[in-house]
Amino acid sequence: MNLRRIIAPVDAVLQRVLALLMLLLVSCVTWQVVSRYLLGDPSSWTEELARYLLVWIGLLGAAFAYGCRAHMAIDLLQGRLGERGRALLRALIAALVLVFALLVTVLGGSSLVALTWELKQESAAMGVPMAMVYTVIPLSGLLIALYAIADIADALRGARR
Amino acid sequence: MSFLVLCIVLALLLAIGVPIAFALGLATLCTMLLSVDPLPAFTTMAQRMAGGINSFALLAIPLFILSGNLMARGGIARRLVNFARALVGALPGGLALVNVVACTLFGAISGSAIAATSAVGGVMIDEMRREGYGRAFGTALTAAASTTGMLIPPSNILIVYAVASGGVSVAALFLGGYIPGILLALALMFVCLAHTRRAGLRGGPRSSLADIARASFSALPSLLLIVLVIGGIVGGAFTATEAGAIAVVYAFVLAVLVYREVAPGEIADILLKSAETTAVVMLLIATSTCLSWILAYENIPQLISDTLLGFSDNPLLILLMINLVLLLVGAFMDMTPAVLVFTPIFLPVATQLGMSPLHFGIMLVMNLCIGLCSPPVGSLLFVGSAIGRTSIGEIVRPLLPMYLAMFLALMLVTYLPATAEWLPRLFGFAG
Repeated sequence: MNLRRIIAPVDAVLQRVLALLMLLLVSCVTWQVVSRYLLGDPSSWTEELARYLLVWIGLLGAAFAYGCRAHMAIDLLQGRLGERGRALLRALIAALVLVFALLVTVLGGSSLVALTWELKQESAAMGVPMAMVYTVIPLSGLLIALYAIADIADALRGARR
Repeated sequence: MSFLVLCIVLALLLAIGVPIAFALGLATLCTMLLSVDPLPAFTTMAQRMAGGINSFALLAIPLFILSGNLMARGGIARRLVNFARALVGALPGGLALVNVVACTLFGAISGSAIAATSAVGGVMIDEMRREGYGRAFGTALTAAASTTGMLIPPSNILIVYAVASGGVSVAALFLGGYIPGILLALALMFVCLAHTRRAGLRGGPRSSLADIARASFSALPSLLLIVLVIGGIVGGAFTATEAGAIAVVYAFVLAVLVYREVAPGEIADILLKSAETTAVVMLLIATSTCLSWILAYENIPQLISDTLLGFSDNPLLILLMINLVLLLVGAFMDMTPAVLVFTPIFLPVATQLGMSPLHFGIMLVMNLCIGLCSPPVGSLLFVGSAIGRTSIGEIVRPLLPMYLAMFLALMLVTYLPATAEWLPRLFGFAG
């Protein structure tokens, strides 16, 4: 199917973005230490920026990790099933993840973004709109949904064989 | 009623193998929908997920993961094994003791029990087999000893607990982990001594002073990381998060510029791997933040606390019961989700019994250490059996006396609060 053809470039972009965000996170906290000890002028925005970077890494990375099957699960049942049963179970699990991603992260996340945009909520130190920070929630949700749909398609094709 | 729904849905989702982070989220969602309208429930959960991650204390976790990944690839395992050999290699059962010491040091520096099992196991298991210890014993010992690094700082799981408990000092937890971690290592060393006596194994050649000096000198830069990080946090020079950044810079200089075991081209890959590991932990924190909110909203910790305290008012008995429940949980669930789910449930009971949150956290993590290397879902067993090329069934037999030793150490820490509280108090952190 062509879903995999969409996923490969998405994966490649996610990998670069995540490595870059991680590098920014390290630089940001390091700068906080340097500015306090070496420059004697503690920076006011590094702590806030670092926290928001963590939210982005956490949620975007969660989508990437889902695509790599890196999330922890108790997979005792899987080993006890036949090949067909295992494929159906995999489809069921991906469907449950899809439900969570669509309802909470995509729907709930977008409504949170809309809400904070209307209320013009801004962060304390840098004054960035909170809606921008929260945009990562529906974004991550869409990516997880994409991976989950591809997983369901793969699993069902495997079950039919 | 809502608690029943929560438990049943969560148990079902976990049993069929839904990733734990999503299972926690889905179970919370079902419970919430009993009393809240759908769209507000979705929005609240999305906000709490982001809010759970948005914390300065948690920032230490990606930083220590990254420094651990840099160190783990930097050929540190071999240097630490040589250092441990110079220290304890000549004692009877020397090679087994070397394994315990190396796993402990490596676990502390890398902050990952899995990294310790694979890195030290890769060096030690074959060597132990050649000396007649048996592949299964060597693998079992590596897995069990790797857990000590979870207690000995810097330790990410203690940071997770600090956040889950709502404000125990990370510095105090770090100091509190030392003695219990060392007790765990000593308990395993006793098992080694008993095993070597039965098998009639002797120690290695005595190291000369020059050998000891050479091995120490080569391991010193890695060990210095611990001194720098813990010294800085305890001395109040920087926060745990800032210590994490310093650890990254130090590990980078050491692994890339001094030891030259990490090529600059590998950096992007290490950054990505660290982001992925971070995200796995963060998603668990995000959804379990929702879970602990619904637990508090439904007054469930109070309910459990009342039930347990109504069952018996003997603190010794209740602590034993909590420990047994946690051992069972640990056998099925990985450490991070277990800490996140059970801290809000059992911490109120423990504090009502007069236990300090610091002491409880150390006991909780130590307990779950045993679960990391016990079937059916001990991640260290899977990694260990792959590295040691044995089956899990074979490793479990030599592990049995090790479980007993670890359990005894756990009981010591449970009933002697000073094991966890003395060191932090010495440095001026009130429990």
